[in-house]
Amino acid sequence: MCVWCDQFAAGYERWYFNPANYARRLYKIRKEAAEALGAEANPQEAGGMAILGREFLEARERNDYEAMERMKREAEQVSWGTHFGQVITLDEALKVTDIIYPISLMTCACRRSMVGLPDEENFTCMGMGPGMYKWERWPDTYRGGVHFLTPDEAKEALTKLNKRGLVQTIATFGTPYLAGLCNCDYPDCGFIRTVLDFGVRVLWRGHYVAKVDPELCNGCANCVARCQFRALSFAPTRNKAYIDEFQCFGCGLCATECDQEAITLVERASLPSLANVW
Amino acid sequence: MLATITVDDEKCNDPLSCRKCLLICPTHVLGLGTDVGPQKFRETDPSHFILRGVRFDKCTGCMDCVEVCPQNAIQVSF
Ligand code: SF4
Ligand code: SF4
Ligand code: SF4
Ligand code: SF4
Ligand code: SF4
Repeated sequence: MCVWCDQFAAGYERWYFNPANYARRLYKIRKEAAEALGAEANPQEAGGMAILGREFLEARERNDYEAMERMKREAEQVSWGTHFGQVITLDEALKVTDIIYPISLMTCACRRSMVGLPDEENFTCMGMGPGMYKWERWPDTYRGGVHFLTPDEAKEALTKLNKRGLVQTIATFGTPYLAGLCNCDYPDCGFIRTVLDFGVRVLWRGHYVAKVDPELCNGCANCVARCQFRALSFAPTRNKAYIDEFQCFGCGLCATECDQEAITLVERASLPSLANVW
Repeated sequence: MLATITVDDEKCNDPLSCRKCLLICPTHVLGLGTDVGPQKFRETDPSHFILRGVRFDKCTGCMDCVEVCPQNAIQVSF
Protein backbone atom coordinates (compact mmCIF):
# COMPACT_ATOMS: atom_id res chain seq x y z
CA MET A 1 0.00 0.00 0.00
CA CYS A 2 1.17 3.49 -0.83
CA VAL A 3 1.60 5.27 2.51
CA TRP A 4 0.34 8.51 1.00
CA CYS A 5 -2.90 6.90 -0.14
CA ASP A 6 -3.15 5.22 3.22
CA GLN A 7 -2.98 8.58 5.00
CA PHE A 8 -4.53 11.00 2.57
CA ALA A 9 -6.82 9.30 0.03
CA ALA A 10 -9.91 9.50 2.28
CA GLY A 11 -11.82 6.95 0.22
CA TYR A 12 -10.67 8.17 -3.19
CA GLU A 13 -8.80 5.75 -5.42
CA ARG A 14 -5.52 7.65 -5.00
CA TRP A 15 -4.45 10.39 -2.63
CA TYR A 16 -3.96 12.74 -5.59
CA PHE A 17 -7.60 12.27 -6.61
CA ASN A 18 -8.76 13.56 -3.25
CA PRO A 19 -9.79 17.22 -3.80
CA ALA A 20 -9.07 18.04 -0.16
CA ASN A 21 -5.35 17.70 -0.86
CA TYR A 22 -5.54 20.64 -3.23
CA ALA A 23 -7.58 22.81 -0.91
CA ARG A 24 -6.82 26.34 0.06
CA ARG A 25 -7.11 25.55 3.75
CA LEU A 26 -4.09 23.31 3.38
CA TYR A 27 -2.28 25.94 1.41
CA LYS A 28 -2.38 28.19 4.45
CA ILE A 29 -1.34 25.43 6.81
CA ARG A 30 1.61 24.52 4.69
CA LYS A 31 2.76 28.11 4.56
CA GLU A 32 2.93 28.28 8.34
CA ALA A 33 4.51 24.85 8.60
CA ALA A 34 7.18 25.72 6.06
CA GLU A 35 7.97 29.00 7.77
CA ALA A 36 8.21 27.29 11.14
CA LEU A 37 10.79 24.97 9.65
CA GLY A 38 12.67 27.98 8.33
CA ALA A 39 12.25 26.42 4.91
CA GLU A 40 11.37 29.38 2.74
CA ALA A 41 11.34 27.74 -0.65
CA ASN A 42 14.19 28.98 -2.77
CA PRO A 43 13.32 27.63 -6.20
CA GLN A 44 16.94 27.49 -7.26
CA GLU A 45 17.81 25.48 -4.22
CA ALA A 46 14.79 23.26 -4.50
CA GLY A 47 15.63 22.69 -8.12
CA GLY A 48 19.20 21.93 -8.75
CA MET A 49 21.47 23.07 -5.99
CA ALA A 50 21.47 19.59 -4.52
CA ILE A 51 19.15 18.17 -1.93
CA LEU A 52 22.18 16.40 -0.51
CA GLY A 53 25.41 18.33 -0.33
CA ARG A 54 29.06 17.51 -0.70
CA GLU A 55 29.07 16.03 2.79
CA PHE A 56 27.00 13.14 1.47
CA LEU A 57 29.29 12.61 -1.52
CA GLU A 58 32.31 12.59 0.76
CA ALA A 59 30.71 9.99 3.01
CA ARG A 60 30.06 7.92 -0.08
CA GLU A 61 33.69 8.26 -1.17
CA ARG A 62 34.91 6.81 2.10
CA ASN A 63 32.18 4.12 2.16
CA ASP A 64 30.78 5.54 5.37
CA TYR A 65 27.41 3.83 5.03
CA GLU A 66 26.26 4.88 8.45
CA ALA A 67 26.72 8.59 7.72
CA MET A 68 25.15 8.11 4.30
CA GLU A 69 22.11 6.41 5.76
CA ARG A 70 21.70 9.14 8.35
CA MET A 71 21.90 11.90 5.75
CA LYS A 72 19.54 10.02 3.44
CA ARG A 73 17.02 9.58 6.22
CA GLU A 74 17.23 13.24 7.20
CA ALA A 75 16.83 14.40 3.61
CA GLU A 76 13.84 12.10 3.13
CA GLN A 77 12.15 13.24 6.32
CA VAL A 78 12.44 16.90 5.31
CA SER A 79 11.37 16.15 1.76
CA TRP A 80 8.35 14.03 2.74
CA GLY A 81 7.09 16.75 5.04
CA THR A 82 7.63 19.68 2.72
CA HIS A 83 8.25 18.81 -0.91
CA PHE A 84 8.31 15.45 -2.60
CA GLY A 85 6.87 13.93 -5.73
CA GLN A 86 5.21 10.80 -7.00
CA VAL A 87 5.21 9.56 -10.57
CA ILE A 88 1.77 9.45 -12.18
CA THR A 89 0.66 8.29 -15.61
CA LEU A 90 -0.53 10.67 -18.32
CA ASP A 91 -4.10 9.44 -17.83
CA GLU A 92 -3.89 10.20 -14.13
CA ALA A 93 -2.42 13.63 -14.83
CA LEU A 94 -5.28 14.39 -17.22
CA LYS A 95 -7.71 13.41 -14.51
CA VAL A 96 -6.05 15.79 -12.06
CA THR A 97 -6.76 18.70 -14.41
CA ASP A 98 -10.47 18.19 -13.69
CA ILE A 99 -10.01 18.31 -9.92
CA ILE A 100 -8.14 21.53 -9.37
CA TYR A 101 -8.30 25.03 -10.75
CA PRO A 102 -6.39 27.09 -11.73
CA ILE A 103 -3.58 25.28 -13.51
CA SER A 104 -0.80 27.23 -15.09
CA LEU A 105 2.26 26.56 -17.13
CA MET A 106 5.38 28.04 -15.61
CA THR A 107 9.13 27.86 -16.07
CA CYS A 108 10.94 24.91 -14.52
CA ALA A 109 13.23 25.71 -11.59
CA CYS A 110 15.22 22.50 -11.96
CA ARG A 111 16.17 23.15 -15.54
CA ARG A 112 16.99 26.78 -14.85
CA SER A 113 19.40 25.59 -12.24
CA MET A 114 20.79 22.57 -14.06
CA VAL A 115 21.34 24.06 -17.50
CA GLY A 116 20.34 27.71 -17.18
CA LEU A 117 17.54 27.09 -19.65
CA PRO A 118 16.19 30.43 -20.95
CA ASP A 119 12.59 31.15 -19.92
CA GLU A 120 11.14 30.88 -23.41
CA GLU A 121 12.39 27.28 -23.74
CA ASN A 122 11.55 26.37 -20.19
CA PHE A 123 7.74 26.20 -19.85
CA THR A 124 7.52 22.59 -18.72
CA CYS A 125 6.38 22.93 -15.12
CA MET A 126 2.78 23.28 -13.97
CA GLY A 127 1.56 24.98 -10.84
CA MET A 128 -1.90 24.30 -9.46
CA GLY A 129 -4.33 25.77 -7.03
CA PRO A 130 -4.91 29.02 -5.17
CA GLY A 131 -1.20 29.62 -4.63
CA MET A 132 -0.90 30.39 -8.34
CA TYR A 133 -2.84 33.61 -7.92
CA LYS A 134 0.10 34.91 -5.94
CA TRP A 135 2.60 34.46 -8.70
CA GLU A 136 3.22 38.17 -9.08
CA ARG A 137 4.59 38.34 -5.55
CA TRP A 138 7.45 36.01 -6.39
CA PRO A 139 8.78 37.04 -9.77
CA ASP A 140 11.82 34.85 -9.31
CA THR A 141 9.94 31.64 -8.66
CA TYR A 142 7.79 32.45 -11.66
CA ARG A 143 10.51 33.85 -13.90
CA GLY A 144 9.16 34.41 -17.36
CA GLY A 145 5.60 34.75 -16.04
CA VAL A 146 2.84 32.16 -15.95
CA HIS A 147 0.25 31.02 -18.48
CA PHE A 148 -3.10 30.18 -16.93
CA LEU A 149 -4.67 27.23 -18.75
CA THR A 150 -8.21 25.98 -19.12
CA PRO A 151 -8.61 22.29 -18.20
CA ASP A 152 -8.60 21.44 -21.91
CA GLU A 153 -5.47 23.46 -22.56
CA ALA A 154 -3.81 21.79 -19.58
CA LYS A 155 -4.66 18.37 -21.02
CA GLU A 156 -3.25 19.36 -24.38
CA ALA A 157 -0.05 20.68 -22.81
CA LEU A 158 0.44 17.55 -20.71
CA THR A 159 -0.11 15.31 -23.72
CA LYS A 160 2.47 17.25 -25.73
CA LEU A 161 5.01 17.16 -22.92
CA ASN A 162 4.47 13.42 -22.54
CA LYS A 163 4.94 12.95 -26.28
CA ARG A 164 8.21 14.87 -25.99
CA GLY A 165 9.37 12.28 -23.49
CA LEU A 166 8.76 14.02 -20.18
CA VAL A 167 7.47 12.09 -17.17
CA GLN A 168 4.45 13.40 -15.26
CA THR A 169 4.91 13.74 -11.52
CA ILE A 170 2.75 15.25 -8.84
CA ALA A 171 4.42 17.21 -6.06
CA THR A 172 3.54 18.45 -2.59
CA PHE A 173 4.36 21.83 -1.19
CA GLY A 174 3.77 21.15 2.47
CA THR A 175 2.52 17.53 2.45
CA PRO A 176 -0.21 16.59 1.63
CA TYR A 177 -0.95 19.87 -0.14
CA LEU A 178 -0.51 19.17 -3.85
CA ALA A 179 0.50 22.11 -6.02
CA GLY A 180 2.99 20.86 -8.60
CA LEU A 181 2.25 18.95 -11.78
CA CYS A 182 5.71 18.44 -13.14
CA ASN A 183 7.08 17.17 -16.41
CA CYS A 184 10.50 15.77 -15.77
CA ASP A 185 13.48 13.95 -17.20
CA TYR A 186 16.93 12.70 -16.26
CA PRO A 187 19.40 14.31 -15.66
CA ASP A 188 17.85 17.74 -15.33
CA CYS A 189 15.04 17.10 -12.87
CA GLY A 190 16.26 17.32 -9.30
CA PHE A 191 13.75 14.71 -8.14
CA ILE A 192 14.70 12.08 -10.72
CA ARG A 193 18.36 12.78 -10.34
CA THR A 194 18.30 12.47 -6.58
CA VAL A 195 16.30 9.27 -6.48
CA LEU A 196 18.29 7.56 -9.24
CA ASP A 197 21.78 8.74 -8.35
CA PHE A 198 21.52 8.52 -4.57
CA GLY A 199 18.52 6.30 -3.86
CA VAL A 200 16.99 9.08 -1.78
CA ARG A 201 13.25 8.86 -2.17
CA VAL A 202 12.26 12.43 -2.91
CA LEU A 203 10.34 10.92 -5.83
CA TRP A 204 8.10 7.90 -5.24
CA ARG A 205 7.31 5.26 -7.77
CA GLY A 206 3.82 5.37 -9.23
CA HIS A 207 0.94 2.96 -8.74
CA TYR A 208 1.74 0.94 -11.85
CA VAL A 209 4.45 -1.31 -13.17
CA ALA A 210 5.04 -1.77 -16.89
CA LYS A 211 5.17 -5.22 -18.42
CA VAL A 212 6.17 -6.35 -21.91
CA ASP A 213 4.12 -8.97 -23.71
CA PRO A 214 6.73 -10.96 -25.64
CA GLU A 215 4.08 -12.23 -28.08
CA LEU A 216 3.12 -8.73 -29.12
CA CYS A 217 6.53 -7.04 -29.04
CA ASN A 218 8.00 -6.92 -32.55
CA GLY A 219 11.40 -5.59 -31.50
CA CYS A 220 11.01 -2.15 -33.09
CA ALA A 221 12.74 -0.53 -30.06
CA ASN A 222 10.62 2.63 -30.28
CA CYS A 223 9.95 2.50 -26.56
CA VAL A 224 13.55 2.21 -25.44
CA ALA A 225 14.45 5.90 -25.53
CA ARG A 226 11.37 6.78 -23.49
CA CYS A 227 12.48 5.46 -20.12
CA GLN A 228 13.94 8.06 -17.76
CA PHE A 229 14.44 5.55 -14.95
CA ARG A 230 16.96 3.04 -16.32
CA ALA A 231 14.30 0.34 -16.24
CA LEU A 232 13.92 -0.34 -19.93
CA SER A 233 16.49 -1.79 -22.28
CA PHE A 234 16.57 -3.76 -25.46
CA ALA A 235 17.44 -7.44 -25.29
CA PRO A 236 19.07 -8.44 -28.60
CA THR A 237 19.00 -12.14 -27.75
CA ARG A 238 15.25 -12.24 -27.97
CA ASN A 239 14.87 -9.10 -30.05
CA LYS A 240 12.45 -7.67 -27.52
CA ALA A 241 12.14 -4.77 -25.16
CA TYR A 242 13.12 -5.73 -21.61
CA ILE A 243 11.74 -4.06 -18.50
CA ASP A 244 13.26 -4.45 -15.07
CA GLU A 245 10.02 -4.24 -13.15
CA PHE A 246 11.79 -3.72 -9.85
CA GLN A 247 13.35 -0.57 -11.29
CA CYS A 248 10.24 0.62 -13.16
CA PHE A 249 8.62 3.82 -11.83
CA GLY A 250 5.36 3.15 -13.65
CA CYS A 251 5.28 6.39 -15.65
CA GLY A 252 3.85 4.66 -18.70
CA LEU A 253 5.94 6.59 -21.22
CA CYS A 254 7.08 3.37 -22.88
CA ALA A 255 3.49 2.14 -23.20
CA THR A 256 2.20 5.33 -24.83
CA GLU A 257 4.88 4.99 -27.53
CA CYS A 258 4.27 1.32 -28.39
CA ASP A 259 1.92 1.00 -31.34
CA GLN A 260 1.81 -2.81 -30.94
CA GLU A 261 0.23 -2.35 -27.52
CA ALA A 262 2.84 -4.73 -26.23
CA ILE A 263 3.36 -2.84 -22.98
CA THR A 264 0.69 -2.83 -20.33
CA LEU A 265 0.58 -1.12 -16.97
CA VAL A 266 -0.14 -3.47 -14.11
CA GLU A 267 -1.28 -2.33 -10.68
CA ARG A 268 1.73 -2.38 -8.39
CA ALA A 269 -0.49 -3.59 -5.56
CA SER A 270 -1.34 -6.74 -7.56
CA LEU A 271 2.26 -7.96 -7.51
CA PRO A 272 3.25 -9.36 -4.11
CA SER A 273 6.96 -8.59 -4.50
CA LEU A 274 6.39 -5.07 -5.78
CA ALA A 275 3.45 -3.96 -3.70
CA ASN A 276 5.80 -2.36 -1.22
CA VAL A 277 8.49 -1.21 -3.59
CA TRP A 278 8.02 2.53 -3.90
CA MET B 1 37.96 10.91 -6.29
CA LEU B 2 35.75 13.96 -5.81
CA ALA B 3 36.54 17.04 -7.82
CA THR B 4 36.94 20.44 -6.21
CA ILE B 5 35.34 23.08 -8.39
CA THR B 6 35.86 26.76 -7.75
CA VAL B 7 34.34 29.69 -9.56
CA ASP B 8 35.53 33.27 -9.38
CA ASP B 9 32.26 35.22 -9.09
CA GLU B 10 33.96 38.49 -10.09
CA LYS B 11 34.95 36.99 -13.42
CA CYS B 12 31.78 34.98 -13.89
CA ASN B 13 29.49 37.98 -13.62
CA ASP B 14 26.47 36.92 -15.67
CA PRO B 15 26.26 33.12 -15.72
CA LEU B 16 22.54 33.18 -16.52
CA SER B 17 23.20 34.52 -19.99
CA CYS B 18 26.64 32.96 -20.53
CA ARG B 19 25.99 29.37 -19.32
CA LYS B 20 28.67 27.98 -21.64
CA CYS B 21 30.06 25.63 -19.01
CA LEU B 22 26.56 24.41 -18.06
CA LEU B 23 25.91 23.42 -21.64
CA ILE B 24 29.23 21.76 -22.33
CA CYS B 25 29.54 19.67 -19.16
CA PRO B 26 28.79 16.11 -20.33
CA THR B 27 27.40 14.96 -16.99
CA HIS B 28 25.58 18.12 -15.83
CA VAL B 29 27.76 18.62 -12.78
CA LEU B 30 27.39 22.38 -12.56
CA GLY B 31 24.48 24.38 -11.27
CA LEU B 32 23.12 27.88 -11.30
CA GLY B 33 21.72 29.56 -8.23
CA THR B 34 21.56 32.96 -6.62
CA ASP B 35 23.42 34.41 -3.67
CA VAL B 36 20.19 35.93 -2.35
CA GLY B 37 16.94 34.18 -1.51
CA PRO B 38 13.80 34.78 -3.55
CA GLN B 39 12.59 38.29 -2.98
CA LYS B 40 9.05 39.52 -2.87
CA PHE B 41 7.96 41.59 -5.87
CA ARG B 42 11.46 41.61 -7.28
CA GLU B 43 13.24 39.54 -9.87
CA THR B 44 16.80 38.75 -8.89
CA ASP B 45 19.31 40.86 -10.77
CA PRO B 46 21.56 38.79 -13.09
CA SER B 47 24.57 39.96 -11.07
CA HIS B 48 23.29 37.88 -8.14
CA PHE B 49 23.31 34.65 -10.08
CA ILE B 50 26.17 32.32 -9.24
CA LEU B 51 27.63 29.28 -10.88
CA ARG B 52 28.78 26.37 -8.70
CA GLY B 53 29.91 22.79 -8.82
CA VAL B 54 27.03 20.74 -7.43
CA ARG B 55 26.96 17.11 -8.50
CA PHE B 56 30.64 16.42 -7.89
CA ASP B 57 30.02 12.68 -7.97
CA LYS B 58 29.59 12.95 -11.72
CA CYS B 59 32.64 15.07 -12.56
CA THR B 60 35.02 13.12 -14.78
CA GLY B 61 37.71 15.77 -14.76
CA CYS B 62 37.50 16.28 -18.52
CA MET B 63 38.12 20.05 -18.10
CA ASP B 64 35.70 20.99 -20.88
CA CYS B 65 34.14 23.63 -18.61
CA VAL B 66 37.53 25.14 -17.85
CA GLU B 67 38.41 25.34 -21.52
CA VAL B 68 35.11 26.78 -22.67
CA CYS B 69 34.94 29.56 -20.08
CA PRO B 70 35.56 32.90 -21.81
CA GLN B 71 36.35 34.57 -18.46
CA ASN B 72 38.75 31.96 -17.19
CA ALA B 73 36.55 31.85 -14.11
CA ILE B 74 36.25 28.17 -13.35
CA GLN B 75 38.80 25.77 -11.91
CA VAL B 76 38.60 22.05 -11.40
CA SER B 77 41.13 20.15 -9.32
CA PHE B 78 41.44 16.74 -7.70
S1 SF4 C 1 10.21 18.63 -10.74
FE1 SF4 C 1 10.30 18.51 -13.02
S2 SF4 C 1 9.02 20.18 -13.90
FE2 SF4 C 1 9.19 20.46 -11.64
S3 SF4 C 1 10.78 21.94 -11.45
FE3 SF4 C 1 11.81 19.93 -11.36
S4 SF4 C 1 12.26 19.21 -13.49
FE4 SF4 C 1 10.94 21.03 -13.51
S1 SF4 D 1 7.70 -0.20 -28.84
FE1 SF4 D 1 6.45 -2.01 -28.38
S2 SF4 D 1 6.86 -3.40 -30.08
FE2 SF4 D 1 8.47 -1.86 -30.11
S3 SF4 D 1 10.16 -2.79 -28.91
FE3 SF4 D 1 8.91 -1.54 -27.51
S4 SF4 D 1 7.46 -3.00 -26.65
FE4 SF4 D 1 8.29 -3.96 -28.46
S1 SF4 E 1 9.77 0.95 -18.01
FE1 SF4 E 1 8.18 2.27 -18.91
S2 SF4 E 1 6.74 2.69 -17.25
FE2 SF4 E 1 8.60 1.84 -16.32
S3 SF4 E 1 9.77 3.68 -15.76
FE3 SF4 E 1 10.48 3.03 -17.80
S4 SF4 E 1 9.24 4.20 -19.27
FE4 SF4 E 1 8.22 4.34 -17.25
S1 SF4 F 1 35.62 18.89 -15.62
FE1 SF4 F 1 34.22 18.04 -17.17
S2 SF4 F 1 32.82 16.75 -15.98
FE2 SF4 F 1 33.86 18.09 -14.52
S3 SF4 F 1 32.50 19.85 -14.30
FE3 SF4 F 1 33.97 20.38 -15.91
S4 SF4 F 1 32.98 19.79 -17.82
FE4 SF4 F 1 31.87 18.78 -16.15
S1 SF4 G 1 31.55 29.62 -18.82
FE1 SF4 G 1 32.65 30.81 -17.27
S2 SF4 G 1 31.72 32.83 -17.31
FE2 SF4 G 1 30.34 31.47 -18.40
S3 SF4 G 1 28.89 30.81 -16.85
FE3 SF4 G 1 30.53 29.28 -16.88
S4 SF4 G 1 31.99 29.95 -15.30
FE4 SF4 G 1 30.63 31.68 -15.76
